[in-house]
Amino acid sequence: MHSPDVYGLMAEFADPNELVAAAHRAHHEGYRRMDAYSPLPIEELHEAIGFHNTRLPLIVLIGGIVGGLAGYLLQWWASAVAYPLNVGGKPFHSWPAFIPVTFECTILGAALSAVFGMLALNGLPQPYHPVFNVPRFTLASRSGFFLCIEARDGKFDLSRTRAFLETLGATEVTTVAD
Amino acid sequence: MDNPMPLEERQLTGAGSGVPVIAPGHTFGSVTDKISAIVLTRRTPIGWYLGFMTAAALTGLLLVSLSYLVVEGIGIWGNNIPVAWAFDITNFVWWIGIGHAGTLISAILLLLRQTWRTSINRFAEAMTLCAVACAGIFPLFHTGRPWLAYWLLPYPNTMGIWPQFRSPLVWDVFAVSTYATVSLLFWFVGLVPDLATLRDRSQSRTGRIIYGALALGWRGSAMHWHRYETAYLLLAGIATPLVVSVHTVVSFDFAVAIVPGWHTTIFPPYFVAGAIYSGFAMVLTLSIPIRAIYGLQDFITLRHLENMAKVMLVTGLIVAYGYTVEAFIAWYGGNAYEGFMIWNRITGPYAPAYWALLLCNVIIPQILWFKSVRTNVIVLFVLSLVVNVGMWLERFIIIVTSLHRDFLPSSWGMYQPTFWDWSTYLGTIGLFLMLLFLFVRFLPLISIFEMRTLLPEAKGEQ
Amino acid sequence: MALRQTADELIPELRRYQRQLLLAGAAGAVVSFVGYVLNPAQFFQSYLMAYMFVLGLSLGSLALGMVHQLSGGAWGVVIRRPIGAAARVLPALTVMFLPIAFGMHHLYEWTHADVVANDPILQGKQLYLNTPFFLVRAAIYFAAWNGISFLLNRWSLEQDRTGDRRLSRRMQLLSGGGLLAYGLLTTFAAFDWMMSLAPHWFSTIYGVLIIGGQALSAMAFLIVVLVWLSRRKPLSDIVVASHFHDLANLMLAFVMLWAYFSFSQYLIIWSGNLPEEITWYMHRLQPGWRLVALLLVVFHFAVPFVLLLSRAVKREPDTIMKVAAAILVARLIDLFWLIAPEFHQDGVYVSWMDVALPLTLVSLWLGCFMWQLRGRAILPVYDPQFEEALGPIIDQGGETPRTAH
Repeated sequence: MHSPDVYGLMAEFADPNELVAAAHRAHHEGYRRMDAYSPLPIEELHEAIGFHNTRLPLIVLIGGIVGGLAGYLLQWWASAVAYPLNVGGKPFHSWPAFIPVTFECTILGAALSAVFGMLALNGLPQPYHPVFNVPRFTLASRSGFFLCIEARDGKFDLSRTRAFLETLGATEVTTVAD
Repeated sequence: MDNPMPLEERQLTGAGSGVPVIAPGHTFGSVTDKISAIVLTRRTPIGWYLGFMTAAALTGLLLVSLSYLVVEGIGIWGNNIPVAWAFDITNFVWWIGIGHAGTLISAILLLLRQTWRTSINRFAEAMTLCAVACAGIFPLFHTGRPWLAYWLLPYPNTMGIWPQFRSPLVWDVFAVSTYATVSLLFWFVGLVPDLATLRDRSQSRTGRIIYGALALGWRGSAMHWHRYETAYLLLAGIATPLVVSVHTVVSFDFAVAIVPGWHTTIFPPYFVAGAIYSGFAMVLTLSIPIRAIYGLQDFITLRHLENMAKVMLVTGLIVAYGYTVEAFIAWYGGNAYEGFMIWNRITGPYAPAYWALLLCNVIIPQILWFKSVRTNVIVLFVLSLVVNVGMWLERFIIIVTSLHRDFLPSSWGMYQPTFWDWSTYLGTIGLFLMLLFLFVRFLPLISIFEMRTLLPEAKGEQ
Repeated sequence: MALRQTADELIPELRRYQRQLLLAGAAGAVVSFVGYVLNPAQFFQSYLMAYMFVLGLSLGSLALGMVHQLSGGAWGVVIRRPIGAAARVLPALTVMFLPIAFGMHHLYEWTHADVVANDPILQGKQLYLNTPFFLVRAAIYFAAWNGISFLLNRWSLEQDRTGDRRLSRRMQLLSGGGLLAYGLLTTFAAFDWMMSLAPHWFSTIYGVLIIGGQALSAMAFLIVVLVWLSRRKPLSDIVVASHFHDLANLMLAFVMLWAYFSFSQYLIIWSGNLPEEITWYMHRLQPGWRLVALLLVVFHFAVPFVLLLSRAVKREPDTIMKVAAAILVARLIDLFWLIAPEFHQDGVYVSWMDVALPLTLVSLWLGCFMWQLRGRAILPVYDPQFEEALGPIIDQGGETPRTAH
């Protein structure tokens, strides 16, 4: 099917709309292993390549709950169990006074989960990736719009896939070395 | 195009304002090039060097002041009993408050879908980080032995004791460190796609390596963008209550005590409004010269300045509401100490500072009701300085006038700042500016990828 | 075409509902009068609670309308007319204040000369807390609220007729000053009518707490009304899920603000533990009343907060209406908890009038609201923001306000 040193085929498009249209067509054609690259987030693009929802909100929710519980338990344990100390006649377990720290810990847990969850799901940091072998790919962070169909896709065929990408109106199609 | 004015441009212009948030004629390429050139190719302006040297000199003064403080002790400041908190806590609250505008612009305005925030949010977030760094110095060194500051954290130690969680000062440790962490994450996450741009456009090998490492291998994948945007929006949702909570906890530092002038229930919302007020003043103070020096009038337009002026007007009025209610209840409550406190502010030894505070925070800013003022760059700049001073005076008045008249006249005292009080304060202004100068020089001061999303091109128009 | 017609022509059943509600209110008034004869003190306590609730609907709407004049946004365009109708109930509310003026002696301890004579603190407050000044202040509040509402509504009606966009500028100017006046006057009204029920007690955040509650009540009510209207033509073609989403987010923000203000006040007073402040909470947190407080934590904050985090809840009209209606009930319980414990200091007590008077006043208020809603177009078609906010949706549905007349 394909030589092991080919990662895929990279097609470049002129603007966001063409990229979205091309991604839709490729998905419709049966290609599944592909990714689109753009210098700005494009609303419908992830759906066009067949990627729907992310689990991130759930991760953040869990992170927040764990953070908040940990914060409250820490205060309760430290103030009422480990070293009970009478300050100003307040109860050892002074729940109103524990709310601010509990709140901050909830926020911290949620924020850390949001950032590190996003990075982990995205597989970042990733120092090397084959797409960077395409010279024009530096434009993906300026004004270029790219669609890459990967060689591990079952339907991938170097010449047929290249011909298909050219019918989509790509300005340039390049083979990506692995 | 037959339509003389494309739909997007009409939306950008907004109802009735007439001034767009981004000047027409820009493309993905031109926006990228113009903003990244400040970092990568443009010759650093001579003004940058002059400004940086001045700021660095003041930072040197800070280092000297803090070193002397560590050697000699807190006695080099004017703090005394009864005025145990003075410049240090005033400056701490002032700096933290300034930081809040950055989070407000990046988080709350994002949730409210105010696209005008885009060209100022990066810069404002950087301002938050620098301000929090300056704020942290004061309580840290006020402990007298900053190398033992980790005692504030809950960790198992040889004594078997734990922080006193019923004290607002411990809440403050959690609030401020959470705030610093989340602000840093929010700012860094926002930077990642732009760091990739710098990596791809840098001409020097060092630049490529450093920006490349920081960009974490970002490649603009559609799946990545989707998770990225989800994470960014969630962070904004998290940061919004956080910013409110931080200044609320700062206000608790005062309000849960029973000191007259501190123990009042309006403090939380009124401190938050005051923080936003001073923060927006500082954003104006900084962004007005920067847009002139770097020629960024296309991106930071009069519309931005006017909107910030409106936020200042609203938050300033909330602060004035706080003063009014506080003074009324001090009388209405019938508590002799509260009544004396407000009378002492108006007529006591610090009365000139109190009247200056009312002038700076309440009276002068009323000129913002006029559109001609809100769109006059020079007047806005001067006014932003006035509000910065006014909000500093507000914290000074709250802290010092409440402490210097204790319950018993035999315990009354006065506070006079010493040279080292002033030098430490000026030093943190130097540190703040120095960090900002470095940021402007080495990182894109406007979010490039978010500016791209504002262009008509992003919707497929040519 | 349809958008230029009045609500009356579009939704004929409004007239019927108005009549039924006013009749129910009249019947309620008769029943309540029996309550007044049997137990005047209880009557005035329940009346004050019910009155503060309906007043909050009108004043909160007026404030939200002024905020929208200044901030803009699609969320306000779709509820502008219900906002106006709710604000135009204010003249009726002015009349409905009279029983409180007559019942002052039953409600406010500081009106009792013998009590004041033995209380140095109340003597110190006499300059402010005295009957003539109290009435003068009430007159000032009502004059200002009615004046602002009258001018805004008149200019809005004029804009409906002439399409003159300069009127919007005038409305914005008035809204700026109007919000300032609303904030200050409502604060002092809250001090006068509610805080002074416990004449020794004081809290600087009290006005903000009441203002936040009014905004929440009004937003919840407007969401219920919008869902109701969106089931009928023509709003069924115009109101979409994103409108509910925006309004529900605002309601979530108000729920969080209420919790924030309430908890801040509690934490500060609890920590200070000063006798003149903490007694207020001791009355409200003793066994019995503590359950009501717990009810508020759960149903005024926790449950709506969790539900409103969900995107699905915010976009589904049926669910969001239920959440909003539940919040309205919680608002009433909050006012009950603020007022009633002052008079029942030895345990929780619910009178039949605590149910009858809210039902009566809400019926009368809703009847007036329907009456006011009928007379005008259902959307502000000439508002400068109208096209930006709703143009794309209307263009798809084939209705264009530009060709409407």
